[in-house]
Amino acid sequence: MVDTTKNTKLFTSYGVTSSKAVNPDMVAKIISKAKRPLLVVGSGVLKPELLDRAVKIAQKANIPIAATGHSHIGFLDKAVDAKYINLHQLGFYLTDPNWPGLDGKGNYDTIILLEFKKYYINQVLSGTKNFSKVKAISIGRDYIQNATMSFGNISREDHYAALDELINAL
Amino acid sequence: MSKLTTGSFSIEDLESVQITINNIVGAAKEAAEEKAKELGPMGPTPFPGLETYRDDWNFKLLDRYEPVVTPMCDQCCYCTYGPCDLSNNKRGACGIDMLGHNGREFFLRVITGTACHAAHGRHLLDHLIEIFGEDLPLNLGLSDVLTPNITITTGQRPKTLGEIKPAMEYVEEQLTQLLATVHAGQESAEIDYDSKALFSGSLDHVGMEISDIVQIAALDFPRADPEAPLVEMGIGTIDKNKPFLCVIGHNVGGVTYMMDYMEEHELTDKVELGGLCCTAIDLTRYKEADRRPPYAKVVGSMAKELKIIRSGMPDVIVVDEQCVRGDIVPEAQKLKIPVIASNAKIMYGLPNRTDADVNETIEELKSGAIPGAVILDYDKLGEISVRLAQEMHPIREAAGVREIPSDEQLKAWVDKCADCGSCYLACPIELDIPEAMKFAKQGDFSYLENLHDSCIGCRRCEQVCKKEIPILSVIEKASQKIIAEEKGWMRAGRGQVFDAEIRSEGLNLVMGTTPGIIAIIGCPNYSDCAKGVYYIAEEFLKRNYIVVGTGCGSMDMGMYKDENGQTLYERFPGGFQSGGLSNIGSCVSNAHITGAAQKVAGIFGGRTMDGNLAEIADYVLNRVGACGLAWGAFSQKASSIGTGCNIYGIPAVLGAHSSKYRRALIAKNYDESKWKVYDARNGEEMAIPPAPEFLLTTAETWQEAVPMMAKACIRPSDNNLGRSIKLTHWMELHEKYIGGLPEDWWKFVRNEADLPLAKRADLLKKLEEEHGWEIDWKRKKIISGPKIKFDVSAQPTNLKRLCKEA
Repeated sequence: MVDTTKNTKLFTSYGVTSSKAVNPDMVAKIISKAKRPLLVVGSGVLKPELLDRAVKIAQKANIPIAATGHSHIGFLDKAVDAKYINLHQLGFYLTDPNWPGLDGKGNYDTIILLEFKKYYINQVLSGTKNFSKVKAISIGRDYIQNATMSFGNISREDHYAALDELINAL
Repeated sequence: MSKLTTGSFSIEDLESVQITINNIVGAAKEAAEEKAKELGPMGPTPFPGLETYRDDWNFKLLDRYEPVVTPMCDQCCYCTYGPCDLSNNKRGACGIDMLGHNGREFFLRVITGTACHAAHGRHLLDHLIEIFGEDLPLNLGLSDVLTPNITITTGQRPKTLGEIKPAMEYVEEQLTQLLATVHAGQESAEIDYDSKALFSGSLDHVGMEISDIVQIAALDFPRADPEAPLVEMGIGTIDKNKPFLCVIGHNVGGVTYMMDYMEEHELTDKVELGGLCCTAIDLTRYKEADRRPPYAKVVGSMAKELKIIRSGMPDVIVVDEQCVRGDIVPEAQKLKIPVIASNAKIMYGLPNRTDADVNETIEELKSGAIPGAVILDYDKLGEISVRLAQEMHPIREAAGVREIPSDEQLKAWVDKCADCGSCYLACPIELDIPEAMKFAKQGDFSYLENLHDSCIGCRRCEQVCKKEIPILSVIEKASQKIIAEEKGWMRAGRGQVFDAEIRSEGLNLVMGTTPGIIAIIGCPNYSDCAKGVYYIAEEFLKRNYIVVGTGCGSMDMGMYKDENGQTLYERFPGGFQSGGLSNIGSCVSNAHITGAAQKVAGIFGGRTMDGNLAEIADYVLNRVGACGLAWGAFSQKASSIGTGCNIYGIPAVLGAHSSKYRRALIAKNYDESKWKVYDARNGEEMAIPPAPEFLLTTAETWQEAVPMMAKACIRPSDNNLGRSIKLTHWMELHEKYIGGLPEDWWKFVRNEADLPLAKRADLLKKLEEEHGWEIDWKRKKIISGPKIKFDVSAQPTNLKRLCKEA
């Protein structure tokens, strides 16, 4: 089992470690308990190894995908509910209780984040952290301090293994 | 209030007494205001203050485009009450909350940028008036509207250098007022900081306009010239066999004296003169109005500063102001490169040799007794820098410091790597340096080579390397082959867009048949690679958008070639025309980009420009499809440039790094109450489509930015043909880069004529099946469904006061 809670060194030279380190099985439990979960993926997910795993997470957990950047192009022929939205726009809309969401059914309570530039997702999450109640779980290979919970900084191989554990636990 | 004007007078009855008044505070502005009364129609806001635009325009913008706050950290460390924890929007000891504090933080960036351009303008204005006199006419090319930003802001239309002074004084006064609001215990409302930031952005474009028009007028830069000469670009264009004088910064004042000295002493083919950042662009414009062959070269953007120093090639470095690294002296010293500081804004702690003897100063620098010197006398600067480059060249060659490190040294550095991964964590671009080092150890340097184009040369990797490996030098050494081939072409900055070009394109832009203006500006802090700006520019040029550029963005667009070996500047015409690529000039030339949009309102739309910002901006927002791209926006000046575009209704997309500006302006596309304007014919409310969706936001990748920008060019006033053309481009680009149809394409359809022709039948079917619209299939017409009515004579406006029945 991969320990994704170690090595929570910040990539920035400032700020506090406000994100709680989390293991894959805990992420699976959080997703299962969420009322309105959303898997949010960045363009980094277009690597085949990650794309397949993102699809499996969405399918096993039966959750929609917010495909940011140009990641949506990877999900066109996959049996998942993926919709494009700009990440900065998504971050802003998540702070609005009246946002109808990507499906018109309302805002989300939990977002699960995969494959972003760490400085970009960290900056966007600084808005949701301070101005909303949304729970943000980062399952990328970098520790994201402004998420509510995050994997630590792990190797690419460990990251793939951790995602597989998450998929199995769902 | 005094009615005296500037000048001198004597009192006859008092013997032996003479009172000389060189300047009466406020008199220049007062005289200018008096003169303005004679000029003609004047809008409601000449010489605005901090509050002038607030209620009538800024709050209208900020109601639709809401400030999105993304703090850099959760603390405020501004005063001695703190540090305060502001997380979850708590208030600090002084009473300010997280929103207010971050509004202040962003505002501070904007006024810093505004101050940079304004101070640059003041320096050039004073210097050039001293040399050429106040009466030098503003000959800027084929234009009657010479100073759109000055005219809109102050109501003035200066025709000479001297007549610019009231606008300059005004910007300086307002900057002081703006800076004062940052003091603890003053403004605390985030929304008012955003309004003030927008105001500061408008002032920034005045400061930039002043900076560029005075240098065009006095230094014989190209004057609105679509065929400005092509200039060699890239590190690979520097002839290593010649002495190399390298200039860095944003103020061309001192550089002109080097060029004059080289010409007077017939050294133009004996000494290499090249530069980085905006000074480089402007030195290639000097005396280029007659299109003589340029000899000065552009090395590249700010990202190349450390790289060019580490290459060992420069024999002398001269810095002036603004985007100049703070470590140039210690870096240059390692390679025996003397540094000359030529502007009081950057003096680096170096000894001041402004008043010293030229020969003695050269000897001091040559011997290494001092690492560099401050020289503020431009005549001496011109002579010393050129002579010193010639003298240092053989000295540095003999010392073996003019070449990058050996292959053996590279191998030794690579072998030292302990694969700790610290460099990966520290790299702002998140380059996978450990992976590249791992392959280099195995003899495969291609991974290191691939890092060169993305690397911004900040050396944060070196600062954290426990083995003290000079990682930047490792990357550059491994990339020496591609660096040697790093050659491109860029058009020298053309200056303003002239009136005839506006008249020619105005109708197309307002009606939408030219799909839009794409302005590619900004710094080289790219989140993917410099080639992103090339791909974006090429995509829009091939689709007949008007593409304009400035600064580092203009440089990087010229660094890449197609399969025929041609750069974009060689492939596309330099005019402000459909499918044209204009390099407007350096960063301060950005004022001509807003100026072009403003001129569409003034010249083509017949709107009063003088003192009339809200009406001009309202016209641009509703009618002129323009979108900026600051793909590597990094500096404070980029924040003021972008915010200046925003107040004029021009949206901008920034790169992912620019989320660190801590603020965006994004509309809620799902809130229908935000997407209404007035019809100026009768004051009735009319629904409009949700575009532009933002005034300022970020994109994750260049592929995402392209369709975002195409969508942001859609405007309420598009006619059927224009809307159809714009929808065609947006939908095609979305399909190409994002995949599938955009979710909200149907919101932009007012009737069947708006639909892209090639897909009209398919899209009508979708409207019927997916959105319940009624279609008359015999006539292929939409019977019911659209929420937006189309009326070609409608006059969309956000300003109720412009409506006839208001």
